[in-house]
Amino acid sequence: MKRPGILVAAGAGVLTLWALAPLYWVVVSSISTRTELYAAPYKHWLPAHPTFANYVDVFTTGPRYRAGGFLPSATILASGLRNSLVIALTSAAVIALLASLAGYVFARLRIRLKGVLFLALLSLLPLPIWVSLISLYFLLSGVGLVDTDLGMILIFVAYGLPLYVWLMQTYIAGTPKEVEEAALMDGAGRVRALFQVVLPMARAGLVSVFLVAFLTTWNAFLIPLIFSNTEASQPLTVVLSLFIGQYEVAWEAMSAAAVVTMLPPVFLALFFQRYLVRGLSMGALQ
Amino acid sequence: MQPRGDELTGWALLVPSVLLIGLLVYYPALVTLRDSLTGLNLRIPNSGSWVALGNYAQLLSTPEFWGVLGRSLLVVLFVLPAALAIGLGAALVLNQPFPGRGIVRTLAILPWMLPPLVNGFMWSWILNGDYGALNGLLYQLRFIGAYQHWLAHPAGQIFWVGVAQAWTRYPFSMVVLLAALQSIPDEIYDAARIDGSGPWQLFRAVTFPMLMPAFAVALTVEFIATFQIFDVIWSLTGGGAAGSVINPFTKTVMLYNYELVFRNLEIGLGSALAYLILIVSLGIGYIFVRNLYEKALA
Repeated sequence: MKRPGILVAAGAGVLTLWALAPLYWVVVSSISTRTELYAAPYKHWLPAHPTFANYVDVFTTGPRYRAGGFLPSATILASGLRNSLVIALTSAAVIALLASLAGYVFARLRIRLKGVLFLALLSLLPLPIWVSLISLYFLLSGVGLVDTDLGMILIFVAYGLPLYVWLMQTYIAGTPKEVEEAALMDGAGRVRALFQVVLPMARAGLVSVFLVAFLTTWNAFLIPLIFSNTEASQPLTVVLSLFIGQYEVAWEAMSAAAVVTMLPPVFLALFFQRYLVRGLSMGALQ
Repeated sequence: MQPRGDELTGWALLVPSVLLIGLLVYYPALVTLRDSLTGLNLRIPNSGSWVALGNYAQLLSTPEFWGVLGRSLLVVLFVLPAALAIGLGAALVLNQPFPGRGIVRTLAILPWMLPPLVNGFMWSWILNGDYGALNGLLYQLRFIGAYQHWLAHPAGQIFWVGVAQAWTRYPFSMVVLLAALQSIPDEIYDAARIDGSGPWQLFRAVTFPMLMPAFAVALTVEFIATFQIFDVIWSLTGGGAAGSVINPFTKTVMLYNYELVFRNLEIGLGSALAYLILIVSLGIGYIFVRNLYEKALA
């Protein structure tokens, strides 16, 4: 490897700094004491007394950083964490299953209307989902599905499917046909061939779909903002937005809550990025 | 080979997806379209009478709509060049071999994967006028003599919304442009070098034209993403947290639409706006792509 020029080294340095500096500030804030953090002029870029007390605080204490709230902030933060996990994990699992089934049909089976259905699916990709969401709110509230985890999961699954079916279709179409045909010759049905032969070969796609769906659902804000009203279904992003009020904000506690919210995405981005980039890029038009 | 019974199996496997998408995506989209042609307002009883294109005409003739649209385009005009320039710079750096390149690439993509709502919060804390990091840093470096309230003025709010959005959006441009850079064959550079071209000429005559299709993709995607910006503004400059009024100085099309439908309950008008947003997104996306392709081919 050639030694990098000074320009490239400087560029890499600036790029890393630009990407990480905002995150560094929030992480430092979350482990600072209030005295150090609120010193003006600020000078504790490395906290002199690093502490995890803020993390303990946000999950155990009451309303002191909540603007005009009713329930103690620790209660809705805990329920937010639970809702985020339940909604994102279930949605991702259901999406991975349904996208595998439908992707397999589009990749391998010959049925009537397949072309039309696939077109109806793909044409949703560049369309803003917003036009559907408006009416969906009033439709779902009519059947009691607003402000429930189940309702939220149904929405994320339905709005994610076009992209993920397409992704699974491309992955399954890329697996060798001969192996599947051998299984069919041995008397396996289509469904068994899919689960025992095809999906194991397309597992990179399956992992990718699951992780992208999890990340997208975890990060979502507009859909839960509309479809959740209480701690019954509010995920972390919405809970966090409730803490940003017009009154006093306790920034060290807010920062701790923000870091908790960012933890799963950061973990996935650092260790599973190769599974995420392709899926996120293909879904970028949404 | 095509086993018998595929027709039935195929449909059985498709049914859940078809039902979910049909009931939760297509059907409500049609309901919204119908509502956009009525005067439906949930605060006014029996208001759902047919107005044909009246809502669209009303929107296009109100100053607030044009103000909101102008604000959205202002944000777009700031974010697009910024995200593409940063993305291009990052891609050019990452296209060079250097130790630790994989790690830098991973870290550079990170901002794209964070919740946009948290991104907005993060920048609001950085920009905080009393204790924020930007004030602390600039004060320490003696660039400012006193702490500034960066978000006090409307122009500043739009500017910083743009910065936060560019911070979270540049990785997409970077990924697309990096892939394009890596697909340029070395032979082209070799040939140009033999002709005596320097690095800048190489970039202008070879790299930049070869990147045109990737620019078209990045521009289109960034336009649609930023035109529909919502989360970042909500937490950075005050959407309407805790039921408060949506900040008029950063009210872009999606925040306006949210306000119309879910605050004012003007379903008819809001539905029409939703379809206008859809038309603008698709239309401008199409124009971008076509223009850039034509320029690249000319």
